[in-house]
Amino acid sequence: MEKYRANLLLCAGTGCVATGTPRVRETLKAELEKQGLADEIKIVLTGCNGFCAEGPVMLVYPDEIFYQKLTVEEIPKLVEEHFLKGRPYEKLMFKDAEKKTAIPLMNDIPFFKHQILRVLRNKGMIDPDSLEEYIARDGYLATAKALTEMTTEDIIKVIKDSGLRGRGGAGFPTGLKWKFASKSVADQKYMLCNGDEGDPGAFMDRSVMEADPHSVIEGMIIGAKAIGASKGVIYVRAEYPLAVKRLQLAIDKCLEAGLLGENILDSGFDFNLEIYLGAGAFVCGEETALMRSIEGQRGMPRPRPPFPAHKGLWDKPSVLNNVETLAQIAPIIMEGAEWYRTLGTEKSAGTKVFALTGDIKNVGLVEVPMGIPLRRIIYDIGGGINKKNKKFKAVQLGGPSGGCIPEELLDIPVTYEDINKTGAIVGSGGMVVMDEDTCMVSTAKFFLEFTAEESCGKCTPCRVGTRVMLDMLIDICKGQGKKGDIETLLDLSKDIIATSLCGLGQTAPNPILTTIKYFQNEYESHINDHWCKAGICSNLCSFHINEENCKGCGKCLRGCPSNAIVGEKKKPHRVIQEQCVQCRSCYDACPFGAIEIKPTLKKPAEPVTQDEGVTK
Amino acid sequence: MADDIKILVVDDEKIIVRSVQMILKAEGYDIEGASSGKDAILKIEQKNYDLVLTDLMMPEMDGISLIRWLKENRPEVGVVILTGYPSQETIKEALELGIIDYIPKPFTPAVLLDVTLRAIDWLNKKAAIEEKPRKDEFPPSMIEEIDRVIKKYKHKPGSSIPVLQRCQQIVGYLPPEVQKRVAKGLNLSPAQVHSIVSFYSFFTMTPRGDHNIRVCLGTACYVKRIEESLNKIKDELKIDVGGVTEDKKFSIEAVRCLGACGLAPVIVVDEETYGAMTPKKVTEILKNYA
Repeated sequence: MEKYRANLLLCAGTGCVATGTPRVRETLKAELEKQGLADEIKIVLTGCNGFCAEGPVMLVYPDEIFYQKLTVEEIPKLVEEHFLKGRPYEKLMFKDAEKKTAIPLMNDIPFFKHQILRVLRNKGMIDPDSLEEYIARDGYLATAKALTEMTTEDIIKVIKDSGLRGRGGAGFPTGLKWKFASKSVADQKYMLCNGDEGDPGAFMDRSVMEADPHSVIEGMIIGAKAIGASKGVIYVRAEYPLAVKRLQLAIDKCLEAGLLGENILDSGFDFNLEIYLGAGAFVCGEETALMRSIEGQRGMPRPRPPFPAHKGLWDKPSVLNNVETLAQIAPIIMEGAEWYRTLGTEKSAGTKVFALTGDIKNVGLVEVPMGIPLRRIIYDIGGGINKKNKKFKAVQLGGPSGGCIPEELLDIPVTYEDINKTGAIVGSGGMVVMDEDTCMVSTAKFFLEFTAEESCGKCTPCRVGTRVMLDMLIDICKGQGKKGDIETLLDLSKDIIATSLCGLGQTAPNPILTTIKYFQNEYESHINDHWCKAGICSNLCSFHINEENCKGCGKCLRGCPSNAIVGEKKKPHRVIQEQCVQCRSCYDACPFGAIEIKPTLKKPAEPVTQDEGVTK
Repeated sequence: MADDIKILVVDDEKIIVRSVQMILKAEGYDIEGASSGKDAILKIEQKNYDLVLTDLMMPEMDGISLIRWLKENRPEVGVVILTGYPSQETIKEALELGIIDYIPKPFTPAVLLDVTLRAIDWLNKKAAIEEKPRKDEFPPSMIEEIDRVIKKYKHKPGSSIPVLQRCQQIVGYLPPEVQKRVAKGLNLSPAQVHSIVSFYSFFTMTPRGDHNIRVCLGTACYVKRIEESLNKIKDELKIDVGGVTEDKKFSIEAVRCLGACGLAPVIVVDEETYGAMTPKKVTEILKNYA
């Protein structure tokens, strides 16, 4: 192998590819050749780095200098300055928000500094298509150890003692799951991986599959050994073509290298792995539904027991683990249960990856020890709200099954138990931050649209109940809310939770319950005062210009699509209410916060039809 | 419109043939006459008629035999009978053979025109129904490819979803014909296959446009107000989510999270991902594909 003076770890995750990695790479390659550096500096395309919002990103190794927002135009200058003259190029570095100074080293950037990487240990460090690079970072050592030195009981004991809990959402102890399946007697067992990341707002599984596919495969081999499975399936969303491609390549390379197939590492253990493409159904994240889907049926859940550990795929004992869970198996086998427990809390051990998105400065994937307060994730790592002068309102955790947590609860530690107490769930780790311009009733409506659409229809309370609740929320947002709606929503929620078979129905009311719990006043002002204070529900607001704050800059006037704003330059402007269509563009355009949102001036709207507001 | 319609009137009474010809010619139809069943067959073999108006009682070859011959050899031709003695049996027999209507003799010009118009209308509707799955969308090569996929997966349990995914890749969507073919090939009932197609959002039964625009409706995109861009796309293309533009160039599809939340709000056109969408950007992007 040739020796290079530096490696350029250029991110080729879905995010960075979309923002320009392919073009940047071509230019970079040409430029290095032009400067005669092609033999000294190597470009490595890595998986998702996690800092998607700043893409395309690149880490220079071994200098550890981090470049972001790369553009084709800047590449020649970057190559000349850094690689020819040896002067790191400040212009493309991350800038400190307050001091506006450049931060050259990746680990000094707040977004990275507070993270501890276990699941994402190889992210952005290796070429995901290279088995050798994975092995160079101690890959498949744990497989060798598990297959040749450990018994089934040893493996299960380590995983059980580590306290690792399923990262897919429910948080069931992984070791226990494996133990049940290993005790089942059958001629065939299955080890399954859930890569059907359905929660909107979560993308850690995609990132792991794209950046480090071998870590998932390794977890599956060890799990298969633990439960005695000779066949495995990775169920991946069809919407993740890059993840599928990289997993397939990784499987092929493992087969070639004897890490999959018959008699793995000469241990006498056989394990065959294949990929199954999902076809887009949120409910297939539920284990029994996912197994039905692999059998080629509609993915509908069935009652448990029997649990999949006894009767799963094709009625054989099966274990289904989430991508993030599986990616942690190898280090636990190598370092031991005690090591794993050094991070996290007694009941929620280790680290958890969160997908931090929404109205926040630093968007991306973050891995933190469990038990750290929400506030630290949002402010220290995420950098707080992205818009100046806007206040934090809520953070949504756990996708459509989760809930919205308000400012006053931001100091609670992130553990399964503490988050559950708020009414939200840790779930798969989607963490969507919302600022004060968010309408919480509309947010609840958004999630209900999702669950009403994705309900498989098996249980009537879920199928019909979510639809009824959605219709009520649509009415409230249109100004058709009635007194007593809040109580009806609460009652319905209780019934749906009590009478649905699977997690989808049991958690579908969570977004409503938490928004009512923490933001009941917003529901009330929608219903009683016809006032959406965030100005999102266009039937329930009117826009006014505060003459004292207005500087007459004309920004609102120019952006108004219905010419509803009048006024002379440098003099306070005015909204002609008859012409205003409540599009809110003036509110977003005003740099001085002079636009005020007041209750609607319209008469209550006409009754609405039932289907409005539902997409698809 | 009337010029395109070719009609043959068959009756042994010359006066009937002539008067029908006169009335329909005046309306612009292409109309010819025949004096017997045999005479009619000779004419039909020479020319593609759309509609045949025939008497039932004729020497040499009667109307029922002519209709039978037509149904066997020219099933696409519509038949209306003209009869002076509509007995229950003959009408029943004729109806079973698939005639469109009958005109009792004697008839007024108004009745003749009315029945003719209705018959043509019926033929047009029938043609539209039969034409719906346009045959040219399934060239033999596609069918061969579908059959190859089915053959490959036939003996693998639970292969219906992968087979349908491949078929959708080949055809672009999953019309009933394709579903039926898959059902037959995999030894399933068409209902079973349809239950899968209708359950999973990945499958579509309507063809997509040349450029399919997928709009992410995930949480991050929602918070970043993807709706504004979505509305802009709908406005520009004048179609709704799930629709296809008239020129078949664009279609819009709503999807639940593309896993690119870092770039929210996101749309994907064909395979290209566009992040940080704004209504303004929509116009620019659509221009590139127009």
